[in-house]
Amino acid sequence: MSSKVLTVLQGLGPVGSPGAVSSVSRCRMRAGASYVQCGRFGSGSVRGLTGSGSVRGLSGFARGSMNVFNRTMKRRQKNWAASQRDRQQYDYLKDEVGGRVADRVYDVARTFPLALDIGAGRSHIAEHLSKDVVQRLVLTDASEETLKQRRQTEVQTRCVLADEEFLPFKDSTFDLVLSSLSLHWVNDLPAALRQIHQVLKPDGVFIGAMVGGDTLYELRCSLQLAETEREGGFSPRVSPYTAVTDLGNLLGQAGFNMLTVDVDDVQVHYPGITELMTDLQGMGESNCAWNRRLLLHRDSMLAAAAIYKEMYGSEDGSVPATFQILHMIGWKPHQSQAKPARRGSATASFGDLSAFNQRSGTKEPHTNGHRGAQSRHLVHLFTACWGRWQQNTCNLGTGLGPGPWSPLCSTNSFDDSGGAEKCFPVCPDQHLSWISTNTFLDYV
Amino acid sequence: MSGSNVWSRSREKIRIFPELFAQCTTEAAAYGKCVAATTTGRQELKKDLCSKEFEALKTCFTNAAKRRGK
Repeated sequence: MSSKVLTVLQGLGPVGSPGAVSSVSRCRMRAGASYVQCGRFGSGSVRGLTGSGSVRGLSGFARGSMNVFNRTMKRRQKNWAASQRDRQQYDYLKDEVGGRVADRVYDVARTFPLALDIGAGRSHIAEHLSKDVVQRLVLTDASEETLKQRRQTEVQTRCVLADEEFLPFKDSTFDLVLSSLSLHWVNDLPAALRQIHQVLKPDGVFIGAMVGGDTLYELRCSLQLAETEREGGFSPRVSPYTAVTDLGNLLGQAGFNMLTVDVDDVQVHYPGITELMTDLQGMGESNCAWNRRLLLHRDSMLAAAAIYKEMYGSEDGSVPATFQILHMIGWKPHQSQAKPARRGSATASFGDLSAFNQRSGTKEPHTNGHRGAQSRHLVHLFTACWGRWQQNTCNLGTGLGPGPWSPLCSTNSFDDSGGAEKCFPVCPDQHLSWISTNTFLDYV
Repeated sequence: MSGSNVWSRSREKIRIFPELFAQCTTEAAAYGKCVAATTTGRQELKKDLCSKEFEALKTCFTNAAKRRGK
């Protein structure tokens, strides 16, 4: 449990903090009038409202509804990938992330009678779960072929063919909702998270993992530079991802509390760019955005291969591809959950924390020595990171200005009033105050 | 789908791409350095800025393909 708390505090720091990916070169380039910052920081966090494609009034908001991805195409791509003969060899990333999500389920000391897995694929999470943690599991996916090939698991499962944005379940049915690597193809992420919130019972938990932030930035950069040099312009080749900072706010706006967001960087090495692209296609992760260009010119591909190898290649000739996995845990509110302490009700001050360290020799009667040492270490880390975390939750809207889901300005796409854009500050105290010195140690 | 068609031919070409690319490492490195230099330097990346290096790379690549075809 302590390691999870540590990752909460570290993960919300800036992406370039130590412990993240090893440093690689940044590339900046001007492309015509727009300035694109291509590199580890700030890229891919803008999800534009592309005009092409019909406007789906799925939430009743006609103007500005999100329609970035062609969901029919995504279903076809997943069905195709599932019908390939060598499909098993592409499962490595999903298996790895599924295992990590299952770890987080085990960390919650509860048994869940009924759970839902959204975008289950070949049930990468379910094969790690056991009957005493999850009793019954409902697997949903948009692609029928992948569901047919689900792996064996001892948990009782049921398959439902459903889209992630249109969950066909009644409110308050599930104790646990899982999602591994499928929310990054969802058009309207706030609405999907709200639906997840609705199908959860009070005191239910949502544990998810999605790719975000800087995933595949090397591929994106190489293709961008190659196309600019060869063809004079470029089009988005890698689909847009949610940034880490936006994710916490999305979850908060959907109604979850006691949020945990942490970032896992998975770096996979490939012999070259074509192997990477073939693997992405085999995983069913080909681009399906409406604004994608259907042709990749052979000159551009050759140029991109050369650029990728030169800019990011390692000594043994392989090239890395970064997958930044964002893990999120959110709880549906319930009376039994710890509430933020009332302001002004603190009985201890931060000044007392330094006194903690000096009492290293004495044994506390109610806690054993090991637990005491652990909690002291955590309190130290907590105070050290306090300032940084506060700064990062206040200082939102990074990089290329407020995107559609930036917390600083809410557009009318998920606001009932339909009026002019209104900007509201997100109160960081709401997130920070639940960690008062009393309750913090209870979570150790 | 059976037999030789556009899909299977292009898949085959993609499959042998790394083999041919591996025979042109020097030209690829030269081209890569030329483009990478624009990201750190003051010069903006424009169309055909590194066309000389790219032509060298492309001729090397097509020669490798011809050699393999024989």
